[in-house]
Amino acid sequence: MGTFHEIKEFSYHIGWRNRGRHPGRHASTQRGMGMEFIGHTSLLNYPDPRRIDLRQTLRDPMEQVYVRLFNQKSATPVYVICDLSGSMNFGAKIRKIRLAADIAESVARSATRNSDPFGFIGFDDVVREDWISAQSFKSHRAVELAERLKDYHPEAVSGAGIADVWRYLPRERSLVFMISDFHMPLMQLEGALSNLTRHHIVPVVLWDADEYTNLPENGITSLTDPESGVKRTLFLRKDYRNRIIESFAARRAAIYKIFMEFDMPPFYVEGEFDADMLTDYFHQFVAA
Amino acid sequence: MSFSLPWLLWLLPLAFLPLIFQRAHSKSYSWLEMLPADPLSDLIGLILKLLAVLTLLFIVLGISAPHTNMQEVERIGVGAQIGLVLDRSASMDDPFSGATAENSLGESKSAAAARLITQFVKSRQNDLMGMITFSNSAMYVLPLTENKETMVAAVRATAGNALFQTNIGSGLTMGASLFEKVPDSGSRAVILLSDGAGRIGADSQQKIRDWYDRLHISLYWIVLRQPGGLSIFDKNYAPNPDKALPPEIELHEFFKTMKTDFHAYEADDPKSLQQAIDDISRKEKKPIKYLQKIPGKDLSNTCFMLAALMIALLLGIKYLEVNTWK
Repeated sequence: MGTFHEIKEFSYHIGWRNRGRHPGRHASTQRGMGMEFIGHTSLLNYPDPRRIDLRQTLRDPMEQVYVRLFNQKSATPVYVICDLSGSMNFGAKIRKIRLAADIAESVARSATRNSDPFGFIGFDDVVREDWISAQSFKSHRAVELAERLKDYHPEAVSGAGIADVWRYLPRERSLVFMISDFHMPLMQLEGALSNLTRHHIVPVVLWDADEYTNLPENGITSLTDPESGVKRTLFLRKDYRNRIIESFAARRAAIYKIFMEFDMPPFYVEGEFDADMLTDYFHQFVAA
Repeated sequence: MSFSLPWLLWLLPLAFLPLIFQRAHSKSYSWLEMLPADPLSDLIGLILKLLAVLTLLFIVLGISAPHTNMQEVERIGVGAQIGLVLDRSASMDDPFSGATAENSLGESKSAAAARLITQFVKSRQNDLMGMITFSNSAMYVLPLTENKETMVAAVRATAGNALFQTNIGSGLTMGASLFEKVPDSGSRAVILLSDGAGRIGADSQQKIRDWYDRLHISLYWIVLRQPGGLSIFDKNYAPNPDKALPPEIELHEFFKTMKTDFHAYEADDPKSLQQAIDDISRKEKKPIKYLQKIPGKDLSNTCFMLAALMIALLLGIKYLEVNTWK
């Protein structure tokens, strides 16, 4: 339990109203015991005598009895979709999958604090049924799964399963944190995102400085692609290193463009996850 | 170019293993497609593989011991083809009667023979010489060669413990066989150096007579006499009619019946020996043709050196290798 207290929570909010019956903390369109007044109706329509509005009842010449209507605050499902493909095993100091587990745990704890149900879906080249945790208000299963994820070593498989993730998400609009390095073909990413527009997606982009900016200055090395197994020999030198950094900058611009087309501003995590930055993200991009 | 151990060349396909197996210590990277194509890197990767292949290739070639082929050069010289037939029988270890004349007291006959022959060999630079020794049977020592150093070394090697019998017939027949596969230069001689203490059976006598005739070999017999021994040139010797002739006399009588040239000399007389050498010198007028063998060069060390060079290059690249990634 040593890591228990290290996981920081963040605060989040959503910019839409959901219809969840389960009371929670988010604005909702569900009638109920809330504070948000939305109008009057007759007692016959809404037979709740506790809410009789005497002032409105007296003002009505037709002498109907009025009750006040309120919207309750509802819970919103919060999901983490996690990439378990081979590239997530990369990371010089912390493996990306380890970082993803930390983020997932932070999301799970934050969701529980906000009385929202939390679910987890892992995918590699298919959606991994053994890495699915159905949405639940009790986060201990998800936390236990995140703990298990920390020691998981992804196999040499691609991330093609992202295209099928939408089938495993609930019909109601949910807040979905999509944790991946997004090292996948842009077409595949675009296809997957187009099926997820029903939900509020927060792309969490895991990149590692050792992938590009922290490359060694000079030297020869042999690299293996963790997903395809292809090997390449690299002769690193200043000129080539700059080209790699340019290539990553171009990639970052490309995925940013795609995410913004779907109105999903990406959240970058590089080397270290800071929950406060995620709080800032919600303040910056999501209307309260 | 040929190989001493050609079957080891079956290992050559092993050299291509580096092309099949990838480098084991390859580092993991997240997504290779993010790295822009780089022809120089690809070239270096190819060179690394080639180096590994070449290293293995040269090692396999090296252990299969390649060498250039033996070459034969035809040489033309002026001289005789001489077969030396040396007696190595135990009787050769007896004292030599010419010792006093040569100022070396108590010299054994074999040592004297070696000394005489060494002198002889050194004085005859253009001859082709072969060597046979014999005691109870003949021993093939050297084929006809022009290499005088070998010859002197072979002569020196004959001084040693000997066996008891004197099989002159076997020595002479094998001496004749030296000439069998060599083109006839017109002057062929066998120099028999013995103490004459041996008898030859009638069959062997016939065989020797026939072979020497057929191969045109003249025979020079240098007799090494024991002090006080019988001289074959002793005019006053009267054979005992009741006994068989002494072996020296009998052998001399047989040699006289040979169809080819025959001369006998006694080595205790320096004049006689000089005459023997002069006689043979008279025969060296004719040109002789022979093939000189030049041994092939061993190339395996070159292969190993090349392999070591490749390994050094690979080690150098290993030094350049990046270790910052896991």
